[in-house]
Amino acid sequence: MATEQEAAGGDARSWDEERYRKSILQERELRCRTVFRTAFAPSQNPNPDILVVASSDGSLSCYSLASCIASMSQYQQLDMATNLRTVADPLSADPLSIIQAHKGPTYDLKFYTHGENCLLFSCGDDGRLRGWNWKEILSSHIVVDKKTQGNLLKPILDLANPQHEGPWGALSPIPETNAITINEQEGSVYSAAGDARAYSWDIETGKQKMVFKGHADYLHCITARKSSHQIITGSEDGTTRIWDCRSGLCTQVIQSGRNLKSKLSSWVSCVAIDSSESWLACGTGAGLSVWSLLSYECIFNIGHYAPVQDLLFDDNQIVAVGSEPVLTRFSINGATLSQLKCAPQSAFSVSLHPSGVIAVGGYGALVDVLSQFGSHLCTFYCRGLDNYS
Amino acid sequence: MEAIEVARPTAHQLLEDTRMEMEAVASKMLFIKEEGSSKSELRELITQMSLHFITLRKVNRSILVEEDCIKAETEAAKGPVDTTTLQLHNLLYEKNHYLKAIKACKDFRSKYPDIELVPEEEFFSSAPEEIKGKAMADDVAHDLMLKRLNFELFQRKELCKLHEKLEQHKASLLDAISGRKKFLSSLPSHLKSLKKASLPVQQHLGISHTKKLKQLHAAEFLPPPLYIVYSQLLAQKEAFGEKIEMDILGSVKDAQTFALQQVNKENGSLSNLDNAKLEDDAPDDDEDVQRRRKRPKKNVVKDSVEQAGICQLHPLKIVLHVYDDEYTGAKPSRLITLKFEYLVKLNVVCVGFEDTDEKSDSNILCNLFPDDTGLDLPHQMSKLYSGDSLAFGEKGTSYPYKWAQHLAGIDFLPEVPPINVNGDHLNAGLINVSDFSSGLALYRRQNRVQTILQRIRSRKKAQMALVEQLNSLAKLKWPLLIYDNVPWASHTPVCTLQKWSPAGLIPDSSFSTSIAGQATNNVDLDMDRRSVMSWEVENAREDGELPTALPVATMPVDAPVSLSSEPLQLVDRSRSLALMSKNVTPVSMIKTRSFSKYEDELELVLDSDSEAEEQAYSNHVNENASSVVSNPWEDSAAKEFDFILGRNHGKDSVVKLNTKVKISIEYPLRPPIFSLSIDSGRSEWYNVLRAMEAELNLHILRVLPLNNENFILAHQIRCLAMLFDFHFDKHDAKRKSTSVMDVGLCTPISGMILTRSVRGRDRRKMISWNSIGCIPGYPS
Repeated sequence: MATEQEAAGGDARSWDEERYRKSILQERELRCRTVFRTAFAPSQNPNPDILVVASSDGSLSCYSLASCIASMSQYQQLDMATNLRTVADPLSADPLSIIQAHKGPTYDLKFYTHGENCLLFSCGDDGRLRGWNWKEILSSHIVVDKKTQGNLLKPILDLANPQHEGPWGALSPIPETNAITINEQEGSVYSAAGDARAYSWDIETGKQKMVFKGHADYLHCITARKSSHQIITGSEDGTTRIWDCRSGLCTQVIQSGRNLKSKLSSWVSCVAIDSSESWLACGTGAGLSVWSLLSYECIFNIGHYAPVQDLLFDDNQIVAVGSEPVLTRFSINGATLSQLKCAPQSAFSVSLHPSGVIAVGGYGALVDVLSQFGSHLCTFYCRGLDNYS
Repeated sequence: MEAIEVARPTAHQLLEDTRMEMEAVASKMLFIKEEGSSKSELRELITQMSLHFITLRKVNRSILVEEDCIKAETEAAKGPVDTTTLQLHNLLYEKNHYLKAIKACKDFRSKYPDIELVPEEEFFSSAPEEIKGKAMADDVAHDLMLKRLNFELFQRKELCKLHEKLEQHKASLLDAISGRKKFLSSLPSHLKSLKKASLPVQQHLGISHTKKLKQLHAAEFLPPPLYIVYSQLLAQKEAFGEKIEMDILGSVKDAQTFALQQVNKENGSLSNLDNAKLEDDAPDDDEDVQRRRKRPKKNVVKDSVEQAGICQLHPLKIVLHVYDDEYTGAKPSRLITLKFEYLVKLNVVCVGFEDTDEKSDSNILCNLFPDDTGLDLPHQMSKLYSGDSLAFGEKGTSYPYKWAQHLAGIDFLPEVPPINVNGDHLNAGLINVSDFSSGLALYRRQNRVQTILQRIRSRKKAQMALVEQLNSLAKLKWPLLIYDNVPWASHTPVCTLQKWSPAGLIPDSSFSTSIAGQATNNVDLDMDRRSVMSWEVENAREDGELPTALPVATMPVDAPVSLSSEPLQLVDRSRSLALMSKNVTPVSMIKTRSFSKYEDELELVLDSDSEAEEQAYSNHVNENASSVVSNPWEDSAAKEFDFILGRNHGKDSVVKLNTKVKISIEYPLRPPIFSLSIDSGRSEWYNVLRAMEAELNLHILRVLPLNNENFILAHQIRCLAMLFDFHFDKHDAKRKSTSVMDVGLCTPISGMILTRSVRGRDRRKMISWNSIGCIPGYPS
C-alpha cells in the first residue's frame, strides 16, 4: 500500500486531490471488503499451488501461493532495510487473474473436476450460480470491462434462482445463493438459497432437478453426504436439515442452533461432515455442535462466545473460524486442541489443502495461509476489481 | 687703351696701323740681323722706326686727351642720374608704404562677425525709427551696418538693464529660498511625526502604503527561500487578487549584518570600512521598526549564532495572513495567520502560527499534503547536519513542512550564499539566475502557491467546521445538517448521544521525540530490534507467528517498545508451540510470555485473571487495531474521540454502542474513521458493526456531495444514529421469527406477513435506501 500511497496525490509540486481522495477511498474499501471463500485449486502438485478467493466485491481472483510467500519475505526484508514500517502491514498481493464473477458479493465457490475438465462454480448475492472453465479463468489475465460491469470471460453455466410470484404477479427479488456443494458422481450441484430452499441443478443440462422446501428462514450452508445421497443444509431458523436427494424430502431436522443454556435458537452458519460421513459439525451463532449422523445424537455442544462462521473436518479434528481472529481446533469429543491467531478479524472461510495447509479468509480482504504446523506462510490483502479499472 | 681704341677708332686704328708697321719694321730688322745682311738698310729702318715711334706717341697722347675728355663728360652726367635715382627710391618706398597700408586695411578684421547681430529682416522689422531713419554714412551697406550696430547696442543696453533688474529679483528670490530652506529643513521631523500619527489611520483604512515600501525594502534582505515565498505570494496576490497579506517582520539591520557575516565567511575578509558603511546605509526608519516591534538588541544575531547553533533563524520572517476567499461581506474574515521562518544552517523553511492564541490547533498544517507531518526535517542533508539532536515537537509552533520547502522553491534552489548573487561573483551569479528562472518556471507551472493557499484555506475551513461540529457533539447535541437530501437527515434519532469525550491525541508512533536522554535509549532498542529481526527472517517459516501480520493484540501503542517486544514474543511463541497441541492456551496468554525486559509494559495488558475477560480484552483491542493498520504519518496530529450512543430497550435494558472516531488532520480529505463496539462481550454483532462501519467510513462518502464534505462528521454521526436505530430496533427480539420469503405474501410459514431482515452469509441487515441513489447492500 505504501507505494500506492506515495504515488497518489503527490505533494505541493504536483497535487492531484482527486487521485488522493480516490486512493484513500480505495484503501478504505479494501479494509472493509470481505473474503467469503477461499479454495485451493486442484492440481497434481502435492503442495498447495493456487488459491482462489471469492470476495464481497463479486470478484473471483487467483493467487499463486509461491509468489505470495516469496514476495512476503522480500517485503519483510524491505521493511527491515528501510525501518520505516513500524506497524506490520500485510502486503497486498497481485492476483494471477481476476474476474467479475457476480454482481454483489460472491459467497461461495467450489471446484468440480470431471476427468480432464475442471469447472469452477461460484454463487453470489445476485442469486446466480455460475460455472466457469477453470483453465480459462487462469489464462484470462485481468480482463474486466468496467463499463458493462462484466468481463470478457463468459461462464459456461449460468443458473439463476427462481423468483417467486406474489399476488398480482409481483415478483420477489431474486434470492441470493449463500452456498453450493457438488456431487460429482451425480453430476449435480446443490445450492442453498435465500428463499429458504435448496436447489439441485444438473450440471450437464443446467436444469433444476429438485427443490428442497421446509426451512423457515434462509439457508446459510449446504453440504453433500454422497454415500447416502443426502444433502445437509443449515439455516437462519436455527435448524439443520438432512434431505434425501432422490425424493426431495426432509429426512431429519436437527435443532443444532438451540443453545442448551438459554434455549434460544440461533442460526446455523455452516455445516461440515467428516470423510467417513458419519459425523456432522454445525457452526452456529452461539457456538458449535457435533452430531452423529448414525444416531442423530448430539455429541457435544460448545457455547462459544463468537459466532462460528466456517468449519471443516481435518481427519478427526474440527477446524473452525468465526467472528474473531482465531482459528480453533477441536477434537471430536469437544476438547479445544489449539487456538491459532489468524489475520482476519472476522473469518468467513477456512479451507484445507490435502497437504495440511490451511487458508483463512475474512473481513478486511485478508487471506491468511497457515502451514500444517500452524505457522503463517503468508498474509495478504486481496486487491479488488477497482484497482484494475 | 682698348676703350680708347673703341671710342676713338681712328686713333686706335692709327695705333694699330702704327703697331703693325712697327712690327713689320721689327720683323725686317730681325730678318736682316739673321741674314746678317747689310746694315745699311738698318739705318733706314731705324728711322722709319723712329718715325713710327713718334706717331705712336702722338696717337697715345691724343688717346689720353680724348679719355680725359670723356671722363669729364661722364662726371657731368653723374649728377642728374643720382637725383633721379633718389627720387626713384623715394617713390618706391612710398609705394611700398601704401601697399602695406592697403594690406593692413585689407587684413583688418572687424568685430562685426563676432557680434551676433540681429538679422537684417528682423532689424528692419523691429528697429525703432530714430535708428533706421538717421543716415550715418554714405555707403549704403556701411550705413546699414552702422544702423544695425546701433540697434544692437541699443538692444544690449536694454538687456543690460533687464539683467540688472533680474539680478535684483534673483537676490530677492534667493532670500526667499533661504527662508524656505530653513523651513524645509525643519519639515522632515514634522512629517515624521505626522506619519507616525497617520499610521493608525492607515491601518484602519487598509491603505498600507508606507508599510509596503518598507516591506519591499526589507524583502531585499530576505534569504533566497523566503524571498521566493514572498515574491511568489506577492505575485499571486497581485495577479489573481488572492486574498492574502504578507508582512516581513524582523530587523532589517540584523539582516544586513547577517548578510555581511555571510559575505565575510565566503570571502574571508571584508574591510571594516565597508562594514561600517553598510551599517550606516541602513535606513533611518529602521529604528522605528525596532522600537515598534520591541526587538531585542542588535547583537542578537551574533548571540544566536553561538547559542542556537544549527537552529539559527534568519532575522527576518514572513507573516502571511490568509483571508477567506469566498465573498461574504465588505471585509473578508481572516482565516489564518502563518509565519515563515528560515533556518539558516539547515536551509529549511519552517511554518508556524503567528498568533499565540491559535496555538491550540497548532498542528492544523500537519499533513497538508500526504506524508508531511512536519516533525521531521525534509532534506537528507539537513538531517545529516542536525543529527538526532533536533526535535521540532517542543520547539514551539513552527515546523519544517515539506510543502513549505516546495513553496520556498528549495527543491530547485542551488546552494548559493545569498550575497553572491549580486556580489563579485558575477558570473556565478548569472548562471544561478538562469537556473533560478528555469526552476521558477516549473514552480509557476505547478501552481504551487495557488495549490498551497487553497489547501491551507480548505484545511482551515474544514477545521473550523469540524470544531463547530465537535462543539455541538461535546454538548451532546446532534450536529445540524445543512445538506438534507440524504436519508439520515430526515431521520429523527431515537437513540441518544450519551457521552462524548476526547481520547486525546493519538500518540505518535512514527516519530520518536528525541530528547537527549531518550535518544540513546531509542538507539538501543533499534539495535535490539535489528538483531532480532534478522533472526526472524531466517526462522519465519518454522516460527509460527504471523510474520508481519496484524498489530499484535497486546501491542502497546508506543511504537519503539512494541517493535522490540514483538520479535521477542516470537521467540517465546516458538517455544510454546510445542505445548500448544496439548494445551489450550488463549492467544493472548501465549503472547504474553516474554523476556523480563519488557515485562513491565506487557503486564499492563496481561494482568487479567479470568480467561474470558482476557479474551474479551484481546478481542476488543483487535477490533480497534483493525482500523489502525495504516501508515504512521497518517495518524500524526489525529484526534480521537469516544462516544456512546444509547437506546432504551423496554424498561431497563439499555443498548450502548461504543464508538471511537478517529479524525485525521487531513479531514475531510481523509474522512473520520469510526470503529464501533458494543458492550455485550459476545461478538455476534461483529459483522453488523463492521457493516455499519463500512457504511460510515466508506459508502456515505460517495453519497455526500463534495461541497458538503466539511460536514462529513455530522453526516457520519447522524447516519450512525440512523443505522443504530435501525439495527438495534425495539423489535429486535422478534427478529428471530421473522422472514421467510423475499416477498411477504409468498406462502408464509409462520402465518404472518413479514419481510426479510437479514441476508447473506454475513447476515447483514438489508438496507434499502430509496430515492437518493441506492447504496448497495454490502460493500462491493
